[in-house]
Amino acid sequence: MAASAQAIDRIAAAPAMALLDDAAELARFTRWLPARDGQRTGESSLRIGGMHCAACAGLIEAALRRVDGVVDARVSAAAQSATVQWDATRTRPSALVRAIEQAGYSALPDTAAGARALRLKESRAAVWRLFVAAFCAMQVMMLATPSYISGPGELAPDLKQLLDWGSWLLALPVLLFAAAPFFTGAWRSLRVGRIGMDVPVALGIGVAFLASSGAAFAPGGLFGTEVYFDSLTMFVSFLLGGRYLEMRARHRAAVALEDSVGRLPETAWRECADGSVEAVSVLRLQRGDTVRVAAGQAFAADGVLLRGATRVDESLLSGESVPVDKGVGAALAAGSMNLDAPVVMRVERVGADTRFEAIVALMREARTQRPAMLRSADRWAAPFLWSVLLLAAGAAAVWSVIDPSRAVWVAVSVLIVTCPCALSLAVPSALLSAAAAMARRGVLLRRLEAIDGLARMDTLFIDKTGTLTQKESGGVQMIRVDDGAHWSEATLRGRAASLAAWSTHPVARALAADRAGDATAWRDVRELPGQGLEARDPDGTRWQLGRCAAATLDERGLSSIAVDAWLSRDGQPLAGFRFAESLRADAAAAVAALQRDGVRVALLSGDTPARVERIGRLLGLTDCRGGLAPDAKLAAVRAAQARGERVAMIGDGINDAPVLAQADTSLAMGEGAQIARAQADGVLVSNALHDVVRARALARRSLRVMRQNLVWAAAYNAACVPLALLGWLPPWAAGLGMATSSLVVVLNSLRLAR
Amino acid sequence: MDILYLLIPLSTVLVLGIIGVFGWALHGGQFDDLEQHGAQILQADAGSVDPCQGP
Repeated sequence: MAASAQAIDRIAAAPAMALLDDAAELARFTRWLPARDGQRTGESSLRIGGMHCAACAGLIEAALRRVDGVVDARVSAAAQSATVQWDATRTRPSALVRAIEQAGYSALPDTAAGARALRLKESRAAVWRLFVAAFCAMQVMMLATPSYISGPGELAPDLKQLLDWGSWLLALPVLLFAAAPFFTGAWRSLRVGRIGMDVPVALGIGVAFLASSGAAFAPGGLFGTEVYFDSLTMFVSFLLGGRYLEMRARHRAAVALEDSVGRLPETAWRECADGSVEAVSVLRLQRGDTVRVAAGQAFAADGVLLRGATRVDESLLSGESVPVDKGVGAALAAGSMNLDAPVVMRVERVGADTRFEAIVALMREARTQRPAMLRSADRWAAPFLWSVLLLAAGAAAVWSVIDPSRAVWVAVSVLIVTCPCALSLAVPSALLSAAAAMARRGVLLRRLEAIDGLARMDTLFIDKTGTLTQKESGGVQMIRVDDGAHWSEATLRGRAASLAAWSTHPVARALAADRAGDATAWRDVRELPGQGLEARDPDGTRWQLGRCAAATLDERGLSSIAVDAWLSRDGQPLAGFRFAESLRADAAAAVAALQRDGVRVALLSGDTPARVERIGRLLGLTDCRGGLAPDAKLAAVRAAQARGERVAMIGDGINDAPVLAQADTSLAMGEGAQIARAQADGVLVSNALHDVVRARALARRSLRVMRQNLVWAAAYNAACVPLALLGWLPPWAAGLGMATSSLVVVLNSLRLAR
Repeated sequence: MDILYLLIPLSTVLVLGIIGVFGWALHGGQFDDLEQHGAQILQADAGSVDPCQGP
């Protein structure tokens, strides 16, 4: 009874929390995974507030996993976000949020507005703490100056006493308020029986303050007469300054991601059955709705253009900055911008199903995954911290024999100067900023390990159709299905080309570009949504280019012929057009660049060996294998792996999916089949092979940066710990050193993001 | 130099006061966006910075 009353109280106290479970609200930060054995699994993104270092991620993950019904929980310290998979029959998102709050952090659904408020709060709190610490440190230093510059006996003992008391008063807010995050962080990790980065820091600050207070109020007692309030306040402000800069960098990355999310429009204008227009929320759009999109607006959902023609800016999706012409029937992607004219579209996919949402989800996934390299760094953190504590205790013991007055300060310096932060940030900061840079250049990574794989690959298998080659350009093949008596081949081709010139549809453009059209004066040209062009010739006969009625094709026995467009007269198909495939524009240059780079490039294709040979000759490749079934492709990749080669694969089709999963590193084309994209480690959004070359260069640079970071962090600790043990490093210098070494690592990694 | 016995406690209290004033300004949102207000005078159609002053 009491328990249920408590539960009701909790819900009443947080009505916003209960709203989290509302289906429409849920859809804003949750996507539903394909059902496995009947259970409905949601994957929610949450933003976490109050995280200070990588160790917090583990605590939150543990707290989430304890909630009944949570299938999996991953927390990214760098992105300050959590991805939780939960069973809809056993738990609700509000329970997840409550679990995180009980662990001592705050959580919000990962939608832009809440996250912005959280960021503002976090940044205000950080500035406030930093100001208190830095301003007090300045004043304490002023009060400490007389005892540094005065000669022996020049400073009256009662004046020194007064100065020490003033310093103590000003150090108090620093200890109680500004340094609070270190103490709460240390307490949090101790409570769950782990050792975090904050433990040595909190211990150092606490010991320094207690010892200095003893010296200030009972001079000549146990702690001598020297006070170190100036060192204490200064290293707290150095540490907070370092954290503030880290926070700024993190916020910048978060804003960049949200800017891309924020480009989804909030309202849409839906056409009703009677032709009137109503404004509706994007969340209420359904498949099949007809939506008006004004020029300058973003498309609310993936769909097909029904009426009008325009140019579209798809730079968000493809990185391609040149606007793309869109005619009737063209596919529109949610989040891309309508530049020229008002158009009407039919909604095909909404919400979490859209291509844009899928890309954002991919990016989030990559950000929360912990690569193996990172996990090994986590493993090293605990022993490292323990040895720091032991070293500090040992130093205090040894110095209490040599010079008891310095024992406390040497121990404090050792605690402060060692910087596990630099070690633990070395790899993840480099990986994340490299992934962000690649995302901006059109390569979205699902797994961060792919960076390592891209840099080290020595064999690259490329699929031919759809990856190296593309349709809709080059030679047009015509298949005649008429009786052959009335029309010459040239007439039919000319007729089709002149009609096609009326449209901006990609197929029509390719057809019109193939040859000059004849001089037919078309009348009543109309472009029918999803059907193609329809027009009348001067005699009044109706011609169509595009789709042909399925019934007519069945009747004539033509439905098995695969063509890209039919030319029909009075509803009767005369000829079909098929587009020969051609190499992608940048394929040759990209392959050549990769080969110069020492990568062995080979073609694996299911197409006829002759065509594969031809493409291989064009690219100057010697290893071209055609006529391969998916399992033969798989065998080829396995054979290469058995020879000890590190294999990468680029593909696009359904038949490539198993091979993409087998290869050490795999990339899928952005326009490829969904399953190929789901299996690959990364996606080439703009379908440009040259992005692989650039991504590889970036990956090699990020490996270099990672090595630099690790060497720097190790060298810093190796150099500074002995100095502190020998007593040559005052606590303030130790604080400065620790903050700088973390900053050097983060800034070095940020070079990659440029 | 007896005045030091007054000035040192006074300066300490003054420091705490200054910190209080800064905290008030910070939590009032005056430092939330430092770039935006600098750029505001360049926008022709932007209203007066302080709504109380009016045009």
